[in-house]
Amino acid sequence: MSENEPVIRVRGLQKFFGPLHVLRGIDLTVERGEVLVIIGPSGSGKSTLLRCINFLEEYDSGEVWFENALVGYRKKGNGRLVRDREANIARVRAQMGMVFQSFNLFPHKTVLENVTEGPIIVQQRKPEEARAIAQEILVKVGLADKSDVYPSRISGGQQQRAAIARALAMRPKAMLFDEPTSALDPELVGEVLDVIKRLAAEGMTMLVVTHEMSFAREVANRVFMMDEGAVVEEGSPSQIFGAPRQARTAEFLRRVIH
Amino acid sequence: MNYTWHFEAIWDYREVFFRAALVTAQITAGSLLIGLVLGLSLGMMRSSRIALLRWPATLYIEFFRSTPTLVQLVWIYYALPILSGVQMGNVTSLLVGLGLHCAAYLAEIFRAGIASIDRGQMDAAKAIGMRYLSAMRRIILPQAIRRMIPPFINELATLMKLTTLGSVLAVPELLHESENLINNIYRPLEVYTAVALAFAVIIFPIIYLSQHIERTVKARS
Repeated sequence: MSENEPVIRVRGLQKFFGPLHVLRGIDLTVERGEVLVIIGPSGSGKSTLLRCINFLEEYDSGEVWFENALVGYRKKGNGRLVRDREANIARVRAQMGMVFQSFNLFPHKTVLENVTEGPIIVQQRKPEEARAIAQEILVKVGLADKSDVYPSRISGGQQQRAAIARALAMRPKAMLFDEPTSALDPELVGEVLDVIKRLAAEGMTMLVVTHEMSFAREVANRVFMMDEGAVVEEGSPSQIFGAPRQARTAEFLRRVIH
Repeated sequence: MNYTWHFEAIWDYREVFFRAALVTAQITAGSLLIGLVLGLSLGMMRSSRIALLRWPATLYIEFFRSTPTLVQLVWIYYALPILSGVQMGNVTSLLVGLGLHCAAYLAEIFRAGIASIDRGQMDAAKAIGMRYLSAMRRIILPQAIRRMIPPFINELATLMKLTTLGSVLAVPELLHESENLINNIYRPLEVYTAVALAFAVIIFPIIYLSQHIERTVKARS
């Protein structure tokens, strides 16, 4: 596989929740080392798009490709798509990290155990090897001194950084961030954004859904604006934030940037 | 009220109570074992996304929860042999009957326990590449089991009391042996009181333990 090949490709993605048409044909490509930020009002389908990319949500039509693998489905001889085997879906997911709005740390495991769970159980690394990887990553996210603590004993910002560490421990080829700071108290947002900025600077491929506009402007290579299940505008951060072409983008930005 | 109690009559027959209590305990343990194995499977089936697994489990659970336990027992003992030719003894019938019965209730405890765990936990486990069964075993069940303990202990207490239905099938458990004793010594008041106390002595600590665990679990989370 070539270094220039995109990491994530989404083509004509459609998703229904019952009668609700939440994704109306999404196309996007995330290149290696690129940071793509998705903005848009709540209910516009941003989170659902992210969840379809690692198949936490099944999609109804279109295709999601991760490197050279179709995510969630496989093509039969006659060209029809059938649901892929669970082992294959899990293998693709293991190569993408995901960070959730509500952290979703495992409350019955310490911070260190949260981070080593994937390497030990999924990648079948030796526990001591997994612990070494985890300690190194916990240093990186500034939680070296919290490794033996249970998630309920640390702040929201620390929990989210632990969740980022848990995803990074799998050595993912891309990271998906689903509104990583929306559940945080304002004074804790900065410490999480700093970790994400550092990852971006290191060249991590990232797809980020966020409401933090100044962060988006700073970290994004490209910005997508979504509304009502569709991408209404895409462009460089300076173009989207400086001179939006679509009225809906301009209106949305007016409402979120006071 | 000028009844003179003669509990000394009971004391003379204490062997009968000990023997019967042992049978009650054995029936409870045996049917609990059946209920646990079957109930865990049914609970997982009812939590499944696959309809073909889900609805037979639902049918089973709702059937056993909506019919009287006594009717289930006499049906297994009297009707099943006629319909299927399978003739089980009275003790086996009671074991199987109560086992099938408590499986339905335990299945609901398992299902509710699993359902009470935030959906984000399964999402997070899958997102790091875990498969469904390993996420269940390592992430969901360890959290769910803590919440299942109090209702599980309540079910255990209920099951132990249900063993008295075995008296209808002449299983030599506490109630049936007491009735035999009454026919010998004509002391129904003393004997029934003793049986009630025997159950209370066994079950009260269990319920107390359940409440204690419930408080500890709440305090910890």
